[in-house]
Amino acid sequence: MKSVRVLLAVAGNSFYESVRHRFFLLFAVFAFTAIYASVLAGVMAVDQEARVLADFGLALMELTALAYALFTASSVLLREAETKTIYLVFSRPVPRWAYLGGKLAGALLTAALMLVVMGGMHLALLALRGFGAPACYGWAVLGSFLKLSVITSAAFFVSLFSTSAVSTMVISGVLWTAGHFVSEARFLADKAHGVSAAALKGAMLLIPNLQLFNARDAAGAACALPPAAFAAAAAWTLGACLAALWLLSRKEF
Amino acid sequence: MSAHAVSFSAVEKTYKRPGFLGASYTTAVKDLSFEIPAGEITGLLGLNGAGKTTIMKLLTGLIFPSAGKVKVFGHAPTEGAAKARVGFLPELPYFPPHLKPAEALAYYGRLSGLAGPALAQAVRAAMDRTGLEPHAGKRVSEFSKGMLQRLGLAQALLHDPDLLVLDEPVSGLDPLAIHDIRGLLAGLNAEGRAVFLSSHSISEVEKLCSRVLIMVKGRLAAVVKRAQWEAAPGGLETIFVEAVR
Repeated sequence: MKSVRVLLAVAGNSFYESVRHRFFLLFAVFAFTAIYASVLAGVMAVDQEARVLADFGLALMELTALAYALFTASSVLLREAETKTIYLVFSRPVPRWAYLGGKLAGALLTAALMLVVMGGMHLALLALRGFGAPACYGWAVLGSFLKLSVITSAAFFVSLFSTSAVSTMVISGVLWTAGHFVSEARFLADKAHGVSAAALKGAMLLIPNLQLFNARDAAGAACALPPAAFAAAAAWTLGACLAALWLLSRKEF
Repeated sequence: MSAHAVSFSAVEKTYKRPGFLGASYTTAVKDLSFEIPAGEITGLLGLNGAGKTTIMKLLTGLIFPSAGKVKVFGHAPTEGAAKARVGFLPELPYFPPHLKPAEALAYYGRLSGLAGPALAQAVRAAMDRTGLEPHAGKRVSEFSKGMLQRLGLAQALLHDPDLLVLDEPVSGLDPLAIHDIRGLLAGLNAEGRAVFLSSHSISEVEKLCSRVLIMVKGRLAAVVKRAQWEAAPGGLETIFVEAVR
């Protein structure tokens, strides 16, 4: 119970620090500007305007929240070690799992808030253009959040062995990109032979299939994310967290 | 209850630095055995690189010994039972500049397992104890170095520890701030708390401590008691200079 309170304290502090950080404000301004740019793009799409506006806005929301989450996950441990804040934390009876869980929860809570705020802006802009909420909008935003939880926890893991925040962001960004091409990789692996097939199949085990969370690609009622998507997100997040905890429990400060 | 707050037994710490052409190793402390008695003020002196900060980190569980055993009140330093009884002030502690002192302390109090009225009481007591009460309305960004050090001490006192571990507590402070911190530490010791502090200031250590450990190149060169340096011509400074030369 005490450890859970510690986790909540770390999460609350992490969320508060993120929300009041100027970087967060910059992201909000950026997101608003980018979504407005999508309206301009929509005007040029003529009869496909509603679809272009919805897809472009949702993609920008996801990318903005992704950039924020990766920045946080890759820099938070390094920054706390550099400022020695971590000394004040780990010299106390703070279990490392509670610290890691709190930091991840704080980052995801902030990312969720970003998605909600940007979603509100996006829907308001759509309404201004005379369109209602696109079908499956909520599922699409939820899918983006599931992707963020997988990639953020992976970024925490990478940050524990990577030498800089930039390399963590690059590795995690590559993972995010590769995660959208797992079906293509599987197709290639089936066609390949010998070592390259084995290498591709091996790599696919380490790359989360982020296409599972793309509700926008489906139409009508099929856009609802299946339970398997939630289970996959939970499994990837938990796996990355356990790997990160394994490294963190051995880490010296 | 253990008579010793801390015991080091044949402790060695070697740092591994991974490199492109293989790892390199640096031994920071070697064959280190000593005790810190409960309820006493013990000082740690040494030149830069002598291993002082390594010792502080070993006994707060921030790093792990490569060999030997460290015990804090009979427990491994990584155990919660040991950490609950230790308050640590690192050198130049950092606090988010936008926070007010009570906000920063509340966070660290929560991490120490405090909540509700007990947390509010602990924050008030720590601020009162360290003389931060009149500055409660200021933000950390407005704090002088002396006030930051007081805040650092306040966070170390929040959970009412039996042992205070202080890394360079008077480093860079003006004479008045040093005087105040010295008075505060003497008061804390008078309540029965053990204090273990490292410093480059021999005169400060001489005024506060009842025992001093002198480290030379990662090894314990001497353990000097107050009676010894008071009887020695030139005092603790002469003993220190002879030990490190």
